[in-house]
Amino acid sequence: MSDLDRQIEQLKNCEPLKESEVKALCLKAMEILVEESNVQRVDAPVTICGDIHGQFYDMKELFKVGGDCPKTNYLFLGDFVDRGFYSVETFLLLLALKVRYPDRITLIRGNHESRQITQVYGFYDECLRKYGSVNVWRYCTDIFDYLSLSALIENKIFSVHGGLSPNINTLDQIRTIDRKQEVPHDGAMCDLLWSDPEDIVDGWGLSPRGAGFLFGGSVVTSFNHTNNIDYICRAHQLVMEGFKWMFNNQIVTVWSAPNYCYRCGNVAAILELDENLNKQFRVFKAAPQESRGAPAKRPPPDYFL
Amino acid sequence: MGAPEKTTTSNNNSMQRVKVYRLNDDGKWDDQGTGHVTIDYLERSEDLGLFVIDEEDNETLLVHRICSDDIYRKQEDTIISWRDPEYSSELALSFQETTGCSYIWDHVCNVQRNLHFNTLSNETYHGANSELRELPEVELSTLPSILKVVVDSSITDQLCVTELILHDQKFFRKLMDLFRVCEDLENYDGLHIIYKIVRGIILLNSPQIFEKIFSDELIMDIVGCLEYDPDVPHVHHRDILKKHVFKEAIPIKDPLALSKIHQTYRINYLKDVVLPRVLDESTVASLNSIIHSNNGMVVTLLKDDSTFIKELFTRLKSPSIAPDSKMNLVYFLQEFCNLSKSLQMVQQLRLLRDLVNEGMFEVIGDILQSEDKKLMLTGTDILMLSMTQDPSLLRSYVSRQEGSSLIGLLVKGMLKDFGDDMHCQFLEIIRSLLDTYSPAGQRDAIVDVFYERHLDQLLDVITSSCPPVHKSTDSNGSFQNQTSAKPEILLNIYDLLCFCVLQHPYKIKTKFLLSGVTEKVLSLTCRKEKYLVVAAIRFIRTLVSLKDEQVMNHMAKNNLLKPIVDVFIGNGSRYNLLNSAVLELFEYIRKENLKILVIYVVEAFWEELVKFDSLPSIQSLKVRYDQAMEQATNQSGPYALTARRRVDERALDKEEEDYFNEDSDEEDSASASMPRTTRIRAQPTLSNGSSSSPRAGGLVDYEDDDDDEDYKPPPRTKPLKQEDDEASIEFRLKRKISASKQDPDFVKKRLVGKNPKSKESVFATLCSTLSQAVLPSKNTTNAPNNSQDPKEQDKGDTGPNKDTEPDKNSIVAGPEVAINGS
Repeated sequence: MSDLDRQIEQLKNCEPLKESEVKALCLKAMEILVEESNVQRVDAPVTICGDIHGQFYDMKELFKVGGDCPKTNYLFLGDFVDRGFYSVETFLLLLALKVRYPDRITLIRGNHESRQITQVYGFYDECLRKYGSVNVWRYCTDIFDYLSLSALIENKIFSVHGGLSPNINTLDQIRTIDRKQEVPHDGAMCDLLWSDPEDIVDGWGLSPRGAGFLFGGSVVTSFNHTNNIDYICRAHQLVMEGFKWMFNNQIVTVWSAPNYCYRCGNVAAILELDENLNKQFRVFKAAPQESRGAPAKRPPPDYFL
Repeated sequence: MGAPEKTTTSNNNSMQRVKVYRLNDDGKWDDQGTGHVTIDYLERSEDLGLFVIDEEDNETLLVHRICSDDIYRKQEDTIISWRDPEYSSELALSFQETTGCSYIWDHVCNVQRNLHFNTLSNETYHGANSELRELPEVELSTLPSILKVVVDSSITDQLCVTELILHDQKFFRKLMDLFRVCEDLENYDGLHIIYKIVRGIILLNSPQIFEKIFSDELIMDIVGCLEYDPDVPHVHHRDILKKHVFKEAIPIKDPLALSKIHQTYRINYLKDVVLPRVLDESTVASLNSIIHSNNGMVVTLLKDDSTFIKELFTRLKSPSIAPDSKMNLVYFLQEFCNLSKSLQMVQQLRLLRDLVNEGMFEVIGDILQSEDKKLMLTGTDILMLSMTQDPSLLRSYVSRQEGSSLIGLLVKGMLKDFGDDMHCQFLEIIRSLLDTYSPAGQRDAIVDVFYERHLDQLLDVITSSCPPVHKSTDSNGSFQNQTSAKPEILLNIYDLLCFCVLQHPYKIKTKFLLSGVTEKVLSLTCRKEKYLVVAAIRFIRTLVSLKDEQVMNHMAKNNLLKPIVDVFIGNGSRYNLLNSAVLELFEYIRKENLKILVIYVVEAFWEELVKFDSLPSIQSLKVRYDQAMEQATNQSGPYALTARRRVDERALDKEEEDYFNEDSDEEDSASASMPRTTRIRAQPTLSNGSSSSPRAGGLVDYEDDDDDEDYKPPPRTKPLKQEDDEASIEFRLKRKISASKQDPDFVKKRLVGKNPKSKESVFATLCSTLSQAVLPSKNTTNAPNNSQDPKEQDKGDTGPNKDTEPDKNSIVAGPEVAINGS
């Protein structure tokens, strides 16, 4: 069994890696991710997953429902970290799978894959708590900069974490983004990760989130038409039923964090596409309490103060 | 999380497994089914009842209101029977286990007692509108009632319960006694209920209760109770806690400090290991505040003990100390500094200053020269802590003579191979020492030391990590492997260099333009790790974002974009990060209309780039070039104009001279962050002089000329040649390296256009182009970090007005107001 396989097994038990292992893993991941495009091509069949937010045991449920990687191909739409208790284990497991099976799993960037956001919503603190320093956070956030921004499945389904940008009319325009940077406060890259579709808005509206835009049905129609795609698949917003179609089936939100924040009471969903792009949503619930092992976090064995 | 559970214990509990029988008319007992019995409130009622839930289909087999009359009989230790007034028939529960039977029997009796009590004293027992007068006596049989009281109360009742628990001095001692008994007897049902009671009590979130249960006498038993969570496998938390070692680098004599240290460790353990999924946010906040105030108290007690700190530093500085104890002392110092964050700001700063006065930085300087990597990293962590608390202390230390060597040690640390260990701290500290927020005096000293002594070290590592091809084929083929730095170190260097470009544009300019640094930096484009190549591109992009004409001319003159274009071409049609990064660079050059670079790139590389002209970015770069050329030829008309132009140049040169004189060295970094309207206006002038003047002698010897020119006003003599103006585009395309020769003329024409005196219509048109080219840069230079494409040019397409968006600061808190805002 290779080191990497062993690490994957370890992570599947929700045990985080050592700092040195994280470093080696991140360097390998960097080599792989740097070769990916801003609009990463993905072949069907593939299973699309939305936000995970560090809910490790719920992600294990997801793999139970969707099948193990690499038997099932996966596309994760970002927001792996923050809010949940296990951002470190969640992200490292996905990253390890990416390094082990680069063609079987695609990870794209969410708005939480950012230095600024993770300092507020938990990932930073979790790294500090679990490793005693923020070095692991630095390495992981450096990796975030390399993550692709979107994916295109069989030229027909455009997948992105947030949504559209007034600066982007064609998929070609995404190509000229130098994505290796912190998520900016505005501009195309920011919008792709932050925007939301909104029923009321026709055209573009200001987003209450303070970044990205709200976009209406007409925007989606013209984007899909221009780029000759069937529909857009995105995440980024909690939907109680796990998935939600909008604008006459032109855009779908997929949400994969059941009982979000361990208290929202929602179910989660993943979208399975077969080789002919037939859709099947699989809905799942939060992992039962019993299936969760004792938390892996251990304080240092000795202490001075 | 933390939602109170019903009093029922787990369903798969064999202790509660019963068969339900009913006496039929023939006098025989009919088996009604098998299930699990619980005692719970009846629906929409305050009365308690017996429930039996079918183990197969979860249907309710039996509901019986427990009544105060003496109708219940216990037979053979496993059967409870009674005549049910509601069913008006005889019912019986046959238990699988005797313990289960006696448990329920005790419970039923207890409920009956309470019912009697209620009728006597008008609802003492808990109810929606009632007040609790006392807690049930702590006994095995009353545990379910206690649990009910603790977890099922309304908010007002919770306060009441808290009062009662606090009032009853013996409550916890009795509960813990009971816990030990249950544990000895391996009575898991009892233990599970006690677990839930303790959990419920913790969730009452009362500071007074916490004070009690976290006391030295109780806390280990409390941890013991919390080991028996029926929902997770048993973990021996007490054993783990006992195995943990308390180390004393310097013996702590104060018993209060010692007690608080142990308590804090245990509360932390409870919070992080035992209860993380149980606690709600407010309880976590309470625990954190206890930890916080404990830490503050411990640090205060130790720091006020002057002998303690003195002894700490005497030992740390002692040359004869054993490596082991030194290690422990350093770890201690690190934790001590870490905990000092719990003090009030003023005290924090005072303590830090005291530590520094005791010689903390000298100690760390010493540590950084040690061979022990772990020790070095711990020392660096302490520096980080001091930096986050009060950066001025370290800055003022290293800006003094005796401290300046610390910068060198940090640079060395950043370049050191730490093997598997991460060592991002070094870069972080160096960055914060060099950044522009520090007071000018300190900063200048540090920046000077850094550029004079250490920048070259960084560059040497880069060059030695990728020697030019002809060198690597030298006799000693092992050269490359021996000196080559780890990629992560090279990435750190790039990070720092980009940071320097943005923070000290002038320093970097002198350095970079003088000694051909950029060429060295670009040597990394030959590394096989593509992320290093991308980092090199990023560095160039950062340089370009300065929009400094001197830098751009330098790039053009020395053909610095060649390695970038080479890797772009070499990458072929692959759409990856490298491809995007280069395209973005071209887009930026085009959108910002950086004519020097537009002309340079197209003229030097079009033959190669033309293969990629299906890409819109490449295509439009060429379009931009053609436009520029067209404008240039349009103006190269009458001779008279040239003469006039010369006069204008003079005037502008004067302006430029003033600009240079004003912008002295010490204002360098400040100018990076201040609005640069004046500077932007001056820039075309600057390009005019500085780019063309080197060319005067530059045709003979570029390098030397550059060396002298950087900070001085360029000479007035203009080597303007009419031929240049009339050179055909065709001719230009053939020339590559000399591309920069053309653009000064071009820029001059733009300047002429800017001159309000010239009324010619050609110039009017030019004016409009110019304003377009220059104005957007005002925004982008203000935010040098935001290297995303500025949208100014495309603003017409964007519906909403971005200017009304909340600023950068509000984004931190702003974006996720609602919980569904993921």
